[in-house]
Amino acid sequence: MILTPEVLAIFILNTIFAFFATIAFVLSVKIFLHWNIKSVSQSQYKLEKQSYLSATIIKYIFAIKVPLFLFFIFTLDKISKVITGAMCGAGVVDATPYGTYLLILKVINLYVFAYWLMLNSVDMKNEEQPYTKLKFGIYIIAFFLLMGELVLEGVMFNSIDIDKMVSCCGTIYSSTASSYISNIFSIDTGMLLFLFYGTYVLIMLFALLKNKYLFSIANLFFIIISIIAIIVFFGTYIYQLPTHHCPFCFLQKDYYYVGYLIYIFLFLGTFYGVIVAFIDAKKEQMQRDTKISLVFNTLLVLLLSAYPLIYYIKNGVWL
Amino acid sequence: MIELKNVNKNYEVNKNNIVNALQNINISIQEGELFVLKGASGSGKSTVLSLIAALSKPTSGEVIVDAKQISKLPDNFASEYRRDNIGFIFQKYNLIPTLSVSENILLPLVPLNLPAQEAQQKLQRVMKMFDISHKAEAVVKNLSGGEQQRVAIARANVNDPKIIIADEPTANLDERLSLSFIEILKELKALKKTIVIATHDPLFFNLDCVDREIELHKGNILS
Amino acid sequence: MRSKINFYLIEYALNALLREKYKSFFIMSIFTLLTFLLTSVFFITNSIKYELQSTVDTLPQIIVQKIKAGRHYDIDESVVDDVLDIAGVDDAVARVWGYYYFENAGVNFSIVGIDAYEKQYKKSFENIIEDFDFATLEQTPSMVVGRGVKEIMKQSYYDEYFNFIKPDGSLKRVDVAGVFDGQTQLESNDMIVMPKETLKEIFGMDEMQATDIVVKVKNPQEVSTVAAKIKLIYPDTRIITTQDLQISYQNIFDYKSGIFLALFVIAIFTFFIIIYDKASGLSSEEKREIGILKAIGWKIDDILKEKFYEAFILSLFAYLLGVILALLYVYLFQAPILRDIFVGYSQLKTSFELPFIFDLHTLFLVFFLSVPVYVAAIIIPSWKIATLEADEVIR
Repeated sequence: MILTPEVLAIFILNTIFAFFATIAFVLSVKIFLHWNIKSVSQSQYKLEKQSYLSATIIKYIFAIKVPLFLFFIFTLDKISKVITGAMCGAGVVDATPYGTYLLILKVINLYVFAYWLMLNSVDMKNEEQPYTKLKFGIYIIAFFLLMGELVLEGVMFNSIDIDKMVSCCGTIYSSTASSYISNIFSIDTGMLLFLFYGTYVLIMLFALLKNKYLFSIANLFFIIISIIAIIVFFGTYIYQLPTHHCPFCFLQKDYYYVGYLIYIFLFLGTFYGVIVAFIDAKKEQMQRDTKISLVFNTLLVLLLSAYPLIYYIKNGVWL
Repeated sequence: MIELKNVNKNYEVNKNNIVNALQNINISIQEGELFVLKGASGSGKSTVLSLIAALSKPTSGEVIVDAKQISKLPDNFASEYRRDNIGFIFQKYNLIPTLSVSENILLPLVPLNLPAQEAQQKLQRVMKMFDISHKAEAVVKNLSGGEQQRVAIARANVNDPKIIIADEPTANLDERLSLSFIEILKELKALKKTIVIATHDPLFFNLDCVDREIELHKGNILS
Repeated sequence: MRSKINFYLIEYALNALLREKYKSFFIMSIFTLLTFLLTSVFFITNSIKYELQSTVDTLPQIIVQKIKAGRHYDIDESVVDDVLDIAGVDDAVARVWGYYYFENAGVNFSIVGIDAYEKQYKKSFENIIEDFDFATLEQTPSMVVGRGVKEIMKQSYYDEYFNFIKPDGSLKRVDVAGVFDGQTQLESNDMIVMPKETLKEIFGMDEMQATDIVVKVKNPQEVSTVAAKIKLIYPDTRIITTQDLQISYQNIFDYKSGIFLALFVIAIFTFFIIIYDKASGLSSEEKREIGILKAIGWKIDDILKEKFYEAFILSLFAYLLGVILALLYVYLFQAPILRDIFVGYSQLKTSFELPFIFDLHTLFLVFFLSVPVYVAAIIIPSWKIATLEADEVIR
């Protein structure tokens, strides 16, 4: 059990989330079952009002969750100083069997909630409110994901044992270790870079062709390939160390917190990219989303490419 | 322009007590008309006004404005419709007493987030039109009744709506001010606005500028 | 894209706050107090942690104490030679030190004995030896005192010298040769340094004995190994390493912050309820206002947005105010009252200044513990206001 003020703060906010998310959940179920935009009955009118409360709660949770996610990573970094062996967030994530799942779930939830908000904003712009049933249906699923995250987070912080030795990122993200993460190192670097830049080019191409489904799929693929490329290749240039592969360390001050920038670019770029296929929005909005996606994906590619390039210019060799 | 078709409106006071405010009402108002709804208080004329303004929804029937079904609009769209099409002049003016004249007039524009210049233009136009420019910075609660009403009228017109709705506009005015209100109505009519007034002030009966009158009694049309 | 900030709405929100002067002021006071307390506590703990850390860093890596009948006892100086034989040991020094209770002022002095020719286990002692001629100090029994000590002595009219009472009741006069400033204030405000011989006489210790032995190890990673070896040779000793000290300090701290935080959870909950209550209690004036806004075309979303702007302006302002007040309180006024809870050294009457440690992380932490809680508390009341039936309120 570890109860630093940071963890306590996260727990307090989680309690608030759980409380409000449950209210929104109950309302969403009611709306999902009984929503009828054509009806002029009192109950429909009441549901309409309640939909505003649910939407407000969901907006609130998302608005706090985004900065809280960064704070969570920050907290992991801080806790890592208390836990023997851990040198950055990776060690803490690895300290319990729940860490990795929690992190993955957190990221999924960010995408789901962001998707919900987009759907909501499109829905509210249409007099027919065609997505109301759908969006509250999605929230019902999102609610369980969120609760899963909150429980998992509680369990994880509960089971962190300060006295137990954990692995530092050097062993988790190394090509010699036998953990499942190290499987990704079996991919050939040239192949990986080809995939990374190739996917990026495909994204550009599909945007030009205006094929939103392919564009969306390419973006989905780009999330995964980017993370692997960061761990296997780009990370080493950020650290300027051929053996250092950690996707957490560059969140620390020593690397000017560049990790936050990288992950924010990645999130915004791919989120707006994936979303276009899922929402039947007006043309202008779709163009806007596509543009945002392209801008942030490009920024990500430029930022990541800058590290090896600058290294090469400075030192005249590749790592 | 404005059409009420078979409109019923019930208010639920409590489970066993439902008031029929309107019963099967059919009204049709043409564009540019000055339309007067007469009737004692409780006759349902205010209800008609709030239905036209989409402030409330009919229990059954349809309210159609500009070929648009407004009786089924979701709340946000009802508000947008109201903001863009309706200028509402209330009996009690309904100004915010602690704000200044110009702040009150600008209230409907706040959510629009217009460029400052455009908002100022609109403000100056209506303040001049309704002769309240000299009090622009005065706090509303220090104004006389007549001035407050001019502020209310200016606010109703700031977004240049097609329809003006007035609920008992002269109830709190003396005769001189009431007459000047009628002058303002004529001006608005000259601007081709559709005007709907609910009143029991005899001053409005048989005015030249009034195109049509309807009398309501306990939720039914009399004449 | 409508993402442009709506300054009209912000202005309106600001006006609305000012209109409800008393309510806003009340909420803001509570909020400010909360952030102020919270920030102060974090600032104080951060500073003390820093101060303690630097104290611990100056401490010897290993301390060897002799234990007899479960109590700390004087140790033979000959142990030093055995310890020096252990591989990896850089240096070992026998220390003579202890507390002297000065009844007149009701104060404990800590007195340390040092020899000029020995290798010093503390940097500050080396400075003292450089500054004062210890060889002559040994001739005429004299001492060097910390700045705080000097003042306390002066209050009892001991300026040039001080009379120590030996265990047998006789007096030992020791001259004050000078005053020093310590590395940390905690460390030196109650400290006296004098030659070992003199100190042994005052404490009535045997010639060939010492209070304890400090050991320096070349490789910090080997500290625990060396500690185990000493324990093996001398089973009647207690071995304390800096790591142990650090953990026990940390535990005391976590315990104290823990109590505070437990109280704080209750405070947050109360705060939530108060805000909820205040935000729900609407005057008819406020209700009418919302009704007017809706009647002239404000959407539910516009009103919600306005309410959140209000909340954000209020909470951000209160947050900043709380943080600034805490900065002043902790670092300018040295946190009277609150500090004692965390320090607990007040019995020794040592005074020390809280070093200025500015940690951005703390500010984020306080932010997350206050602003979202406040905003959460107004969600339901705001929604209730925003969905009021305009038609019913304005008539």
